[in-house]
Amino acid sequence: MATPIHAPRINNNDDEVKVLAFEVEKGSHVRSGQIVGQIETDKAVLDIESPVDGYVLSLVAQPDDLVKVGSVIAWLGEQADEPVPDDSEMAPVATSRDLGSITAKARLLLKKHGLSADAVATINGRITVEAVERHLAADTSRLAASNRDAPGADTRETPPEIPGVMLSPSREERGMAATVAWHRDHPATGYIEIEYDLAPWAKYAKKMQDDKGWMMSPLLSLMTWRLVEVATTSPRLNSTMINDQRYQYAPVNLGFTIQAGETLFLAVLRDAASLDEEAFVSALGDLQRRAAGHKLRETETSGATVSFSSMERWKVSRHIPILPPQTSFIVAHAAGRDGKGVLGATYDHRVLNGAQVVAALKLLSRPASD
Amino acid sequence: MDTTLCPFDRDPTGKPIVGSDPRSLFAFGHLVRETEKLILDLFGRGLVSGTTHTCLGQEICQMAVVRALDDPRDHVLSNHRNHGHFLTYSGDFTGLVAEIMGRESGVCGGWGGSQHIAYRNFHSNGVQAGMTAIGVGIARALKAEGSRGIVATIIGDGTLGEGLLYESMNLASIWQAPVLFVVENNGIAQTTYTRHTIGGGIEDRGRAFGLAVWRLNDQHPEFAGQSADIVGQMRAHGGPGMLVIDTGRLGPHSKGDDLRPEAERDALVARDPLRKLAERITAADIAAIETANKAFLREVESRAMASPLSTFQAVPQHSFRAAIDVSADVAAMNPTKEVVANARQALNAALHGLFERDDAVVLLGEDLHDPYGGAFKVTAGLSEAFPGRVISTPISEAGITGAGIGLAMADRKPIVEIMFADFLTLCMDQIYNHAVKFPGIFPKSNVPLVIRAPCGGRRGYGPTHSQSPENIFVAVPGLTVVYGSHRHPLGQLLANAVERWPNPTLFLEHKLLYGEKLDPGGYESLVAGAEDMGADLFPTVRSGSRQPDVTLISFGGMLPVVEGAARKLEEEEELLVEIVAPSLLAPLPRQSLLALLDSRPLILVVEESHHQFGVSAEILAMLAENGFSGKVARLGTPPAPIASARSLESAQIPDEDAIISAVLRML
Repeated sequence: MATPIHAPRINNNDDEVKVLAFEVEKGSHVRSGQIVGQIETDKAVLDIESPVDGYVLSLVAQPDDLVKVGSVIAWLGEQADEPVPDDSEMAPVATSRDLGSITAKARLLLKKHGLSADAVATINGRITVEAVERHLAADTSRLAASNRDAPGADTRETPPEIPGVMLSPSREERGMAATVAWHRDHPATGYIEIEYDLAPWAKYAKKMQDDKGWMMSPLLSLMTWRLVEVATTSPRLNSTMINDQRYQYAPVNLGFTIQAGETLFLAVLRDAASLDEEAFVSALGDLQRRAAGHKLRETETSGATVSFSSMERWKVSRHIPILPPQTSFIVAHAAGRDGKGVLGATYDHRVLNGAQVVAALKLLSRPASD
Repeated sequence: MDTTLCPFDRDPTGKPIVGSDPRSLFAFGHLVRETEKLILDLFGRGLVSGTTHTCLGQEICQMAVVRALDDPRDHVLSNHRNHGHFLTYSGDFTGLVAEIMGRESGVCGGWGGSQHIAYRNFHSNGVQAGMTAIGVGIARALKAEGSRGIVATIIGDGTLGEGLLYESMNLASIWQAPVLFVVENNGIAQTTYTRHTIGGGIEDRGRAFGLAVWRLNDQHPEFAGQSADIVGQMRAHGGPGMLVIDTGRLGPHSKGDDLRPEAERDALVARDPLRKLAERITAADIAAIETANKAFLREVESRAMASPLSTFQAVPQHSFRAAIDVSADVAAMNPTKEVVANARQALNAALHGLFERDDAVVLLGEDLHDPYGGAFKVTAGLSEAFPGRVISTPISEAGITGAGIGLAMADRKPIVEIMFADFLTLCMDQIYNHAVKFPGIFPKSNVPLVIRAPCGGRRGYGPTHSQSPENIFVAVPGLTVVYGSHRHPLGQLLANAVERWPNPTLFLEHKLLYGEKLDPGGYESLVAGAEDMGADLFPTVRSGSRQPDVTLISFGGMLPVVEGAARKLEEEEELLVEIVAPSLLAPLPRQSLLALLDSRPLILVVEESHHQFGVSAEILAMLAENGFSGKVARLGTPPAPIASARSLESAQIPDEDAIISAVLRML
């Protein structure tokens, strides 16, 4: 029968000890009382002695591991080829909480919209925010319906003859393909850029950061908020062409490109104009945090009406973004140099002309209060 | 203070020079007695309120040791019956009378009244034996600075029933601190005779601790010279001593509580040492002294009466002093840049840095020395690196807290470690009646004391080793309570408390945080409100959504648990959660917190302490008082003892599930 060597308690107040080294290896024969290794707490180092004669079956812990007092650090056996016992059954079982059938946030949403939970279809057995939003979107399906059915993607291709495997795209990859296809098939895109002074924005963002004691500069969020303001006062930016007619959006749904690992999201903050500047910065921060954790809800990845894309992080000096589906204006923000930056926009020439784009870019190039 | 009005010559420190001849002693003793009679007369005329304890009959006794102290560094720590000590030390008769009358020109501006007086190196307070350990701390500092000064800690025989006295005697003995415990033995404690209150002998108590012991009687013709001789012996041997002086109280303990039989009082009058002195001088001298003292006291009375009643320009709302503008950057103190992985190492590195750069820093506590390095190893390596400044003490929590106060008053920067925060209740009188009182009352008294204590449960240590007593200590006026976490710069908080915050401070450390990785994570510091004293030194941090569905306020060792619950609330319940973690619990950074919390829809305060009447109650009351309209709740340990069994304890102290349930209940 196998014998465990446990991590001993050295100090009454230390629940963890560090494994320093083993002087034996798997398969070694050890005698009772022989020193097999050392462990330490913050100050003391202690030799570990073998409790029995036998063979080392397994060194469970590794040097430099912090292990819980009482946990098994090695197994010894009478024979060198004995099986190593599974001690997982000795570990306390983590009890998990019973999750309610409705998430707390979904419950808040149901209450806000006066909905009954019975009316909402569950997702994986629970009513989540996404489930509620799907329900709401089905009621007022305008945006959701028009965005989900990306046009122009029906030209079928045959697979190449070079060996390879077919991989299913992720939800994000499918979205990207639909966006690009719409950009290719529908708008008449143009691109315009202007040069601008970086200082006024930098100063404005620094002041706000200092005033609020924030750790991160809110510069990009503030410039994006400016876009919301400009799109409100110049509604043409916040519209699109549908079947030769201009469709004027009521809310400003702000799209914001976020790179999370390998994935590029166009995260969407709906009805952004209903917020004020500080609330917008906060909300955009939440959106970015959730995007970084791949926790965006479906309603937060679709339905943009005007967008902002920055590649400043990568020190890109210029880029020409793709227009998100059924929008006519996306700002391109890039890294500046020597106090000057470039602010550009991809736009749908069916909706906007060059002068309108330049006017909008000029408004965006300085803080509103400047 | 009126420095001119004293009928005696004074030395350069202002102390009256009283000769040891009968005429000089009688003149001063008579003036003390007549001053106290004036005070009683003022009471009778309704010009004084409150209480007073006269030394009628004990004047010569009270003068003896204080008169003989002739070094500017000598200290006198007195008690409720202090008039004779104070007048002999200061010569400020008007200051005392005006103080008791509550006048502006009182020696302490009316804050202290009869019992609580601070003047140069004289301190008295109203708690029996309360000053004794403080005296030991001051004496230790005097010895360390190479001064010839000694401390006279004066008590009555009634104080012999107090345990702190014996902790103090023991500390004085093992430290060989130059402190003289003077026991004025008048044979009665308020109304109870000493024979009913003292077991064994008085002097035996001093001998048991190895003190040099003397016993004198204030009737002895050479009493003044004998007392001076003992002061000289104290200076010569540099260690502790005990002097018992047999005396007699002519008046009541306070006022109207003298129930002794007439015969006994007659006997006391007959033994009156002042009367005995009068027998040794001429009638003409006596008449001259009486006339001069009478005229002098008329002048004292009129000057005191002329001084306006003490008033506040504005009623003080706190007694904290502003932060000191010095650098205490722990990174700069620790140039070796040893890797600081966890909270324990951060605190240890900060202590090393503080000791390295500031000779005034000393550390007191139980079992601090290497190789043990303290129960939780926070002080590891310090005693070997800084011998003489890391003091492993006897098990005397109240005593070492008092000694810490004394060291602080003598310009040291003491850090006292209490092994478990549960034992802080043993220190409570020293904190509540002494450490916070002196700076609150006396503008020149500084008590930059830091008391560190590991606290908290979840280790199965049971009812008296698991508690989080911050709820009790935040209620102490003038006490700063800092309780950091692994999200705060813990070493910097400690350095700020020691070097930059001149107020008595309790610095709590949760046991489970010692091994926790020190990592600011996604937390940011709140901007400190301009009205929030100390909020920049001990910041509040926050993380998570700025438009949260729920805000969790927590601190100290509760924070990792709150973070676990917040993660689940975000992942499983899709809520936006914000966490706000103050490190300064008292004074509460109200302005900083209100600015942030004002617009939040839902706030839950989670704490490990018994939360009724506690920190959460104060935070939520603050919100309510300021018109907060969202929902609030609090979660803490119920008001019952914390059990030892882990299964019971974990059901008592809030865990992740309890926090989640509390949030869901609020929605």
